[in-house]
Amino acid sequence: MAKSRDIHRRMRSVDNTKKITRTMEMVSTAKLRQAQNRVIRARPYSNKLSEMIARLATPELAESQPLLRQPAKVEKAVVLLLTSNRGLCGAFNSNLIRRAQSLIDELEGQGADVEFHVYGNKGISFFRFRGVEMSRSRNDLSDRPQPSDAYEAVEDIAARFVAGKVDAAYVVHAQFKSMVATPAVTRQILPVSAGAKDGPQPFYILNPSAEEILSQLLPLYVTNSTFGAMLETGAAEHAARRVAMKAATDNAEDFLDKLRRTYNRARQAEITNQIAEIIGGADALES
Amino acid sequence: MANRVGDPDGPWNDIPSAADLNPERQLSVSVISPSAEAFEGKATALRVPAYDGELGILYGHAPMVVLLGTGTLHIDGPDGERRFQVARGFLQVVGNEVSVLAEEVEALDESS
Repeated sequence: MAKSRDIHRRMRSVDNTKKITRTMEMVSTAKLRQAQNRVIRARPYSNKLSEMIARLATPELAESQPLLRQPAKVEKAVVLLLTSNRGLCGAFNSNLIRRAQSLIDELEGQGADVEFHVYGNKGISFFRFRGVEMSRSRNDLSDRPQPSDAYEAVEDIAARFVAGKVDAAYVVHAQFKSMVATPAVTRQILPVSAGAKDGPQPFYILNPSAEEILSQLLPLYVTNSTFGAMLETGAAEHAARRVAMKAATDNAEDFLDKLRRTYNRARQAEITNQIAEIIGGADALES
Repeated sequence: MANRVGDPDGPWNDIPSAADLNPERQLSVSVISPSAEAFEGKATALRVPAYDGELGILYGHAPMVVLLGTGTLHIDGPDGERRFQVARGFLQVVGNEVSVLAEEVEALDESS
C-alpha cells in the first residue's frame, strides 16, 4: 500500500513541474517572436550600411581610415562576451562561455594581452567564481537592446583602437540561425573588415568626399555590428530557452508515463496479493 | 497637386508639378533606422538635411551618396507630406530609389 502512495506523490510532483516548464515554453515562444521581429527589422539597415562601406572602401582609402588599420601584430585585444541574465536555457550560456575562453586562449597564445568585457549575469558569475579578471561587467542590458547600448559598449574601445592602444576587438555572441540552432560565434568588430565589392557600380556623386563619408560611416558600422550581435543574442536566448523547456516538458511526459505504469503495476500487485490472502483465508476456514 | 513653391496667389501657382504631368515619375523612398524601417513608399520630391545644408531630390536624380546633418527630412508623397527628424547617417540615390539611413530617425506629426 505504502509503495503505490509514494509513486502517486512523485507523479503529482512531476506533473507540477511539467506545468511550469510548459508555461515557460509558451512564454519563451511569445518573447521569441518579438525578438525575432526585432532581428528582422534591423536587417535592412545593417545590410545597406555594409554594402555602402564595401563600395566606398578602396585600398587607397583604407590607409587614411584609422578604423580600417590592420595591425601587424595584436598586442592588446578586447573580447566582449554577451550572455543572458537568466538561466534555464540549456547549454546556451555554457556554449558562449566556452567560445570566449577558447578565443582568449588563442589570443593569449599569440602573445596578446586580452581585456575581457562580460555582459549578462550568467557570464559574470561564471568568470567571477573562477577569479578571471573582467575589465567591465554589466547585467543591465535589457531584453530590447537599443542602438545606444551598443554605442556605450564599443565607444571607448573604438576610441582606444584609433589611438593605437587596442589592436583588435571581438564580440562573442549567439547567432540566431533558426528557431532551434543558436550557435555561439565570434565576430570581429575591429579592425573593420570591408567586404568585397560586387558587380559594376554606378558612378556616384559623393558629397563630401568618399574619405569623409567613410570616416563618418565606419564608427556607425562598428556600433551597428555590436547592436546586431546584441539583438541576435537576445533572440537566440529565447530560442534556446524554448527548446530547453520543450525538452523538459517532453521528458516530464515520458517520466510520467513510466511512473504511471509502475503505479498501476504496484496497485495490481496489491490487489492480487489481497485476493490471494482472501482465498488463502477461505481455504483455511473450509478445511 | 499644385506647385508648392512660392506665393499661393503668384503667377507660378498654376504650374503643375512633375508628378501631375506624369504620375509614374515617382521615387521609391525608404527611411531606415538601426532598429526598423521607418518609412517605405513613393514620393515625388524630397527635402533632405544634408551635412552642409538642405538638399532637394526629384525624379531622375543622378546617383549620389551624401552625408546627412541633423534636421528634418520632408517627403512629398501621394498621400501628403511626411516628416522625419533625422541625425547621423547618409542618403543614397540610385536609379530613382532613395535610401535614407540614419542612426536616429523620429517620425514627426503629419502636416498638411
